[in-house]
Amino acid sequence: MSFISFGFLLFFPVVVFVYFLIPQRFRIYWLLAASYFFLMRANPKYLLLLAADTAVTWAGGWAVARAARKGGPAALRRKKAAAALSLTVAFGILFVFKYLNFFCGLFARALSFFGTSIAAAHFDLLLPIGISFYTFQSVTYVVDVYRGDVKPEKNFCKYALFVSFFPQLLSGPIEEARNMLPQFDEVHRFDYDRARHGLLLMLWGYFQKMVVADRLGTLVAAVYDSPDKHFGLDVLVATVFFAFQIYCDFGGYSNIALGAAEVMGFRLTRNFERPYFSKSIPEFWRRWHISLGRWFRDYLYIPLGGNRCSKPRHYFNLLVVFMVCGLWHGAALNFIIWGALHGLYQVVGLLLKPAKRRAEHALGLREESLPVRFYRAFATFVLVDFAWIFFRAKTFHGALTLIRNLFRFDPAAFVNGSLLNLGLNAPELWAALAGIAAVLGIDLLGRNRDLRAALLSRGTACRWAVYLSAALVVLIFGTYGPLRGAGQFIYSQF
Amino acid sequence: MYRKIICKSCILIAVLVAVLAVLSPLTVYKTAHRAKLIQGLYDSDDDYDVLMIGSSHMNGGLDPNVLWKQYGITSFNYATGGQTLELSYFILREALKKHEKPGAVVVDVFYSGMTNPYGESGLLSNAIDNLKLSRNKAEAIFNCVPPGEWPFYFLPALKYHFRWSSLTPQDFNFDLSAYYYSKGFGAGTTRWGKDDATYGSTDRRLAIPQESLEYLQKIVDLSRQEGFPLILVNFPADYTNYNQMDGWVDDCEAMLNSVADFAAERGVPFLDYCDSMESIGIDFPNDMNNASHLNQWGACKLSSAFGAYLKQHYQLEDHRSDPAYAQWDRDYLLSQAHDVLD
Repeated sequence: MSFISFGFLLFFPVVVFVYFLIPQRFRIYWLLAASYFFLMRANPKYLLLLAADTAVTWAGGWAVARAARKGGPAALRRKKAAAALSLTVAFGILFVFKYLNFFCGLFARALSFFGTSIAAAHFDLLLPIGISFYTFQSVTYVVDVYRGDVKPEKNFCKYALFVSFFPQLLSGPIEEARNMLPQFDEVHRFDYDRARHGLLLMLWGYFQKMVVADRLGTLVAAVYDSPDKHFGLDVLVATVFFAFQIYCDFGGYSNIALGAAEVMGFRLTRNFERPYFSKSIPEFWRRWHISLGRWFRDYLYIPLGGNRCSKPRHYFNLLVVFMVCGLWHGAALNFIIWGALHGLYQVVGLLLKPAKRRAEHALGLREESLPVRFYRAFATFVLVDFAWIFFRAKTFHGALTLIRNLFRFDPAAFVNGSLLNLGLNAPELWAALAGIAAVLGIDLLGRNRDLRAALLSRGTACRWAVYLSAALVVLIFGTYGPLRGAGQFIYSQF
Repeated sequence: MYRKIICKSCILIAVLVAVLAVLSPLTVYKTAHRAKLIQGLYDSDDDYDVLMIGSSHMNGGLDPNVLWKQYGITSFNYATGGQTLELSYFILREALKKHEKPGAVVVDVFYSGMTNPYGESGLLSNAIDNLKLSRNKAEAIFNCVPPGEWPFYFLPALKYHFRWSSLTPQDFNFDLSAYYYSKGFGAGTTRWGKDDATYGSTDRRLAIPQESLEYLQKIVDLSRQEGFPLILVNFPADYTNYNQMDGWVDDCEAMLNSVADFAAERGVPFLDYCDSMESIGIDFPNDMNNASHLNQWGACKLSSAFGAYLKQHYQLEDHRSDPAYAQWDRDYLLSQAHDVLD
């Protein structure tokens, strides 16, 4: 089931209403049933994989904990074996369904490089939606139990709910067991103000997705689906638009997820913190897809040694983490290069740091000054946006074509209206720009204060004017319906 | 607390629905179908002796202006492209609200052959979007539209909202009456130039799809209940494409024989003009606009034959000498029939 469907508009109020109506002891079972129904509406076959992943990691957690209780070298070996086995199965499911064809192709190409030509095996496997997210989430549980950070969960259904909780099932945020499992024991009473906060966040998420992201996506698709036919301004605008499309698409999803959970009393991790105001790539990664960044930090970067090692090793760690991060997004060379670029940006940033400081000192630039902050945010955006080309292009070759065409500028494009041939007419183009301005404006205004609280403290007339106009903007300017269907959430493909 | 939330939610939804209801007529495509349905169902004060209901075959097959010119019969063609038999039933009920005792109702049965549970969305919209909100419209939506699309038919602004950026002055000032002279009729002006590959009679029988059968029966029941004479018709068409089409019976001729049996069993006249093209002078290559629709010359011949049938079998008054019907003469001068007959 998609968040953008009439089905969800019926499903969600019913789930919330029943959740608060039934006794506490039944609530996790209700949410579990609702979550499985939510996934089943997409494809009932997906339930099998979700259930398999849940059972394996839950059993793995128990086996790890049981071995840990006994102590001694044999028990330690058993503990490691149990953790390794459950992680292998969990990652194995992800590998088979997401990466098998990619690595078969890679293997065949590697062999042909050495003169042995074989046809790459191809398996007709459907990529189950949300698999990357719930696999990573369930893996955190096994690792945390192994580390002793989390006690094994006795109640299988509660654990199953942790893995499948519907607001975050398809595209995160990727939660940790220590954050979510205790919340399922909390007694949530219906709180009117909390519900209003949650619904407002959902409304903002719908605006981001339906009004901004999908509108921008029309122009982006026109250019990126035919990379060899577009040049200069077209490619530039499409690439900038894609930066905001993916932000509003994924940010919109995350806000709907957070808002839906908040209505019921659950606190999910905020996934975005004004990422395009970041003044460096490391800062960008502290603000973009925060839950994934945290996962890679805690479960890959730090175990690899993080930055508490030699400089070359530190750089190596950064590159590995970001390449794996790229691979997590999709089984394609493009994503690996996208990740590698982000790793490279950071390595180069670290290498140039002393020179940059000296230059700033010599020029008398203060880090806090507005021009410097603006320059840094702009430079960071340019770097991030350049990397998005690899992320969005359908093929590596397509990305290279777009980069080459980006520099074939035709000044006439500014006046000949060629931009209006990319799927958006003039009013639509203005609406797209207004949408970007609105998103940046809200990000900026929300920097130092809670905008939702500020709105909800206003008088009834003001609040209702905002509710109604926001809802109408989504209904009239949003992309949905049988004739102009809403685009799939980009991250639900991962 | 709960009452407060429910009340506020209801008010919010009511305001949103009201705004969308106001915007809906603006966003709906301004087509000839829209003009004719609103005029024929609601705006016009004319009385019609004959109501014509059906698909595009009827839309371009029976011309009320021919019936007027040659027989003084007043009629209106409520057909819309892709109108399923289920939808025809509800359009007929809507028409009967204003024209309670028509002298005859003629229903095109070609869509009996559809085996899909629902008609094509855009074609259903042609008709449903132009009905006023009523219990009948609600029933039409519930019965003719897939459940997931119901809200889009109750509030067309939800379906056409994307048109905000391409609205034209016509969307704000659409002149519904500009099309009224045609009385709902509209035929093409192309000559197809090919013979009917499926022409011929057969004794084969093929069951009428269940849903079509159900609505044929409902239409018959309605005619008995409301006391109007019902005539079923089928228009000339080459069935080759339909026989091979997904979502359609694979032997139209045999299925229409079953419709003939159905009609005979219930004492309802069924005029299959596809089987009597020669007797009414239809020359397929010259009188068809394409493989399945008559052109204006073919429609004129068929309408003329149908008018003669009406005169012969029904007591329909000739209004031509009545000054109250002078506008019908003026409308005729603008019509396609005038181009063909005079």
